[in-house]
Amino acid sequence: MNLKDISTSVPRKDHKGKVSGQLPYISDVKVENMVYGVLFRSPIAYGKIKSIQLPDLPEGYEAVGAEHIPGPNYVKIIKEDQPIFANEWVNYIGEPILMLVGENLDVLYRLLDEVKIEFEEHQAIYTLEEAIKQKSAPGVNMANYEFGESLDTITSIELKAHQIIEEEYDTGYQEHVYLEPQGMLAIYKEDEIVVQGSMQCLYYIKNALVNALDCGDDDVRVVQSPTGGGFGGKEEFPSMMACHVAVAAKAVKKSVMLVFDRSEDMVVTTKRHPAKLKYRTAIDREGNILSMCIEIFLDGGANVGLSSVVLQRALLNSAGVYKIPHFHAKGYVLKTNTVPNGAFRGFGAPQSFAGIESHIGHLSKLANNDPLEYKRKYLVKQGDPTITKGNFRDPILMEDMIEVLLKSSNYKKKKQKYHQLNQQNQRYKKGIGTSLFLHGCGFTGSGERDHIKAKVKLAKSKDDQVSLKISNSDMGQGILTTLSKIVAKELDLPLENVLYPYPDTKEVPDSGPTVASRTTMIVGKLLERAAKKLKAQWQTGVEQEVTEDYVHREMIPWNEKTFTGDAYPAYSWGVNIVEVEVDTLTGNIKLEKVFANYEVGKVIDDRVMKGQIDGGLAQGLAYGYLEKMTSKEGKIQQKSITDYGPPTSLDVVSIQSKVFDNPYADGPYGAKGAGELTLIGGAPAVQAAIEDALQIPFQQIPITPEVIIESLYVREGEQG
Amino acid sequence: MAEKIIAYRFDCLDQTLSQLNKENCAIIAGGTDVMVMYKSRRGVPPKIPKPIVFIDHLSELKKVYQNQKDLHIGACCTYSELLGNPLIPIVLKKAIKTIAAPAIRNRGTLGGNVCNASPAGDTLPLLYVYNAKLLLRSVKGDRIVPISDFIQGVRRIQRESNEILVEIILPSVLDDGAHVIFEKVGNRNADAIAKVGFAGYIRLNGDGIEDVRFAFGAVGPTMIRSVAIEKMLLGRTVPLTDSDIAQVVAAFDKIIKPIDDQRSTALYRKTVALNLLRYFLSMKQYQPT
Amino acid sequence: MIKFTLNGKTIETDAPATVRLLDFIREEQLLIGTKEGCGEGECGACSVFVNNLLQNSCLIPIGSIEGADVVTIEGIMESEQFKNLDESYSHAGGVQCGYCIPGMVMASAALLSQNPHPSEAEIREGISGNLCRCTGYNMIVDAINLAAKKGDGLWQKK
Repeated sequence: MNLKDISTSVPRKDHKGKVSGQLPYISDVKVENMVYGVLFRSPIAYGKIKSIQLPDLPEGYEAVGAEHIPGPNYVKIIKEDQPIFANEWVNYIGEPILMLVGENLDVLYRLLDEVKIEFEEHQAIYTLEEAIKQKSAPGVNMANYEFGESLDTITSIELKAHQIIEEEYDTGYQEHVYLEPQGMLAIYKEDEIVVQGSMQCLYYIKNALVNALDCGDDDVRVVQSPTGGGFGGKEEFPSMMACHVAVAAKAVKKSVMLVFDRSEDMVVTTKRHPAKLKYRTAIDREGNILSMCIEIFLDGGANVGLSSVVLQRALLNSAGVYKIPHFHAKGYVLKTNTVPNGAFRGFGAPQSFAGIESHIGHLSKLANNDPLEYKRKYLVKQGDPTITKGNFRDPILMEDMIEVLLKSSNYKKKKQKYHQLNQQNQRYKKGIGTSLFLHGCGFTGSGERDHIKAKVKLAKSKDDQVSLKISNSDMGQGILTTLSKIVAKELDLPLENVLYPYPDTKEVPDSGPTVASRTTMIVGKLLERAAKKLKAQWQTGVEQEVTEDYVHREMIPWNEKTFTGDAYPAYSWGVNIVEVEVDTLTGNIKLEKVFANYEVGKVIDDRVMKGQIDGGLAQGLAYGYLEKMTSKEGKIQQKSITDYGPPTSLDVVSIQSKVFDNPYADGPYGAKGAGELTLIGGAPAVQAAIEDALQIPFQQIPITPEVIIESLYVREGEQG
Repeated sequence: MAEKIIAYRFDCLDQTLSQLNKENCAIIAGGTDVMVMYKSRRGVPPKIPKPIVFIDHLSELKKVYQNQKDLHIGACCTYSELLGNPLIPIVLKKAIKTIAAPAIRNRGTLGGNVCNASPAGDTLPLLYVYNAKLLLRSVKGDRIVPISDFIQGVRRIQRESNEILVEIILPSVLDDGAHVIFEKVGNRNADAIAKVGFAGYIRLNGDGIEDVRFAFGAVGPTMIRSVAIEKMLLGRTVPLTDSDIAQVVAAFDKIIKPIDDQRSTALYRKTVALNLLRYFLSMKQYQPT
Repeated sequence: MIKFTLNGKTIETDAPATVRLLDFIREEQLLIGTKEGCGEGECGACSVFVNNLLQNSCLIPIGSIEGADVVTIEGIMESEQFKNLDESYSHAGGVQCGYCIPGMVMASAALLSQNPHPSEAEIREGISGNLCRCTGYNMIVDAINLAAKKGDGLWQKK
């Protein structure tokens, strides 16, 4: 492949199968001797199982539960607190207790209604507020970290400060709504179980299966099916489903398929953590920041899962893109008896950026400064320390990106114009707002070196086709194309001679999970190096194989205990400007214009990048004002797509975006991470725009029409 | 295997009516509500507890015609068919365009929206201010019922089991010179279920109010309409005075009692309903629509 | 016995009348291009044509389509119109995870056959019942726009 510039777009490798609908997702697959599984789930939030009474099962129908698990009864992730089948305590409504398997779904659903379980109910914790109150009770605090300047120093600064500003900020659930509901199939064979399905992380699943089945490495095999969207929702959750189908397949000696209904998917799968963020900032007479203390509380739900890592990222991003003098932060993951929360594009950062952008915006008012001008005063520069005493060692282009965006959006003029318009129009108010953000690429700290240890393989066939042997999933983000492109360009091969079959753990080494905006940067770099190696030893017409292992770039070593060092090898950056119109009669928000500049090192494919920008922003903007999910007494209230309300084509507007080049030495062609970054700026920019329109500060997202009407109502009351 | 399902699909309305006279059936027109209401989980047919009668193909139920100034709309006209029909008032088309999305509008019917009797039914606020009448037919004959009598509660209608809704009649709707507005407040711009619906109707004689009607959706078990409150405004001149407006708003404030649910809050629904009413009453001028 | 045509082929079935057309297409006919995303008419992944109109097959009891002409994505795959959409979606980058795409293509085809030169607003309206979580829709809107431009003549109103 001979592209002058790697960024030049090429057709997607999987386009044909997708546009015709003939590429089989897991629910399109049928295998011989296949039965369905359905899960009996806990109807109560917290309690002890006293007895289980099964209905008479017809011939060919069986129940599978904890007693059928050959290994220990937990889904291997970080801690051992997530049962595969709850058999003693249940900790949330919807927790799986047992599975019924059989040929006919209709019969299975009927049998499910006849399962009788007696519980001894215990007092549950339903809300984050309640968990904060009971923070020191046993089991409630599932993880916590604290770092930064000593509190003594901060107290002495606060004593001399002009004013202490305290704010509390709340963020809600976000649901992934990947279009393809979760699905997993275990294919039963005498000598192995093949688990196939919709997933992001093959080896997470494989490790969980080896543990649950108590079997050898060769006894299970994990194969990714075409995956209809992930966004983090298919990071850790599928491991549980994989355990369910694999245990069942082993027990009944048949292949077992488990596919969720949309409402089941919405109610029982992981979501973005609701969070409470507390800010305590000392300012001087002019409104300059003297010190800042932040406390973050994440609602972990009923088990810790990946929540501790999510909290780390939330904390690491808690100061946003700013250099704050005298900064201190601590955070907690607290247990509630609600559906466990987990990975979602951004992984803790969206909550933190929404909070800090909101807080800094409010501080700018006290300083009588335009929010953007105020933010720019504190913007980090190359060479600045990070809040964990790491270093921003690469060039930072944020000032250029802001300047260009100010011009293309006509920000200053519009801001003035809207304020005048708003004086005249009683019903509709226009506003414009900005957000500044970054995303740390890859795993936190030394995770890549110590935990992941990625390995990639390239295999060349006799006819000189080269296959990528990696464990990463294309879930729509386009790595089938972009990673193949890197290899094709490096080897100067036509793109169609580079193959990237859906990964199968029998064939591919562990190149790590498809998460954390690491795939292009880390795996892509390894593939680039592997391709260089293969090129050097290329022999036409001969089968060849090369592998490449992760090499750590030593920076300031990360210490998880003290929370110091370089948390990330590199950062990607972004600036968003959003314009809205608010209907003050209904509180409805109309997006009018969206402008976005990003810096991701080097773009591997312009069209794929634009897809990430538009899709990420649509999710991020909606997180700020549209998508609303709530839980009441442990039950998710919005069980349908419509009730939850992700954006339709009529809710999104066209987005003017530009990506800046700033090649990064340890990424392929200079590329860094891009997938999560694009979501992060949406919510804070939309909040800033709403605040500009209404001249009311908000302390939460989503800022729904209900929140707006309530605020307007309160303001009316105050004004008499 | 699945239980036996009894379903009828007759070629004409008469046969359908005689079957209904013999047997209590579930009537399916477009099915867009019924199929969701009785939905089973993935891969399994809905569980409808009665024998089924399909009626959406019956040509007798698909006519739209004018009778003097009244507009007759066949109950099984789909929303899309109505959008393409020049007799349908523009405001009603506007309301129909807020329903779900094109694929649903190709299937859902106006009669279905009425008989489903959802508090959030999108066409209902307008049908109420149009004083819609419903033509019901059975083997015994026809009867005509005002929509406000027909819909009695959440998904509760006054249809005898042997009857079919044949027509929705909008009396004097053609050339009547009224200014009619409709507003739907949903959580997003398509595929949304109303959190508040509002229809306002005003007809002037010079500056004086000759007729005025309001209906609110999704703020109670059925549409909220009050002829008594409307009467307060008859004979008043526009623009209305602040005190007239305040009086009407205060009167509705007393009778609108919405609930909290997964889609919105009672406070929001009530505030917005009254906001929309106030806005309508505060207009400086009204033009026939 | 229910009789209708599916992609031009006559189907006669004694399936219960309440069986969803979606299940019939997928489970009986083994046509996998029609996807299930919600089962409640809220996502459009199961879009098909019934008598040339876009409909959600998850909401259609099979008993109601007696005599109807049903077309799935498989039924249009060989057409010039499909080729036009296929190329436009590829060129505009409208496809990511792909799960919404067959439904989206059906909605695109339905729109263009009704309105060969839609405005941006009309395109957004035309696909407003088809949820996509990956693209933010803009590149799909571009794809349909492109299909309208390049497909001049193909989408003439019948």
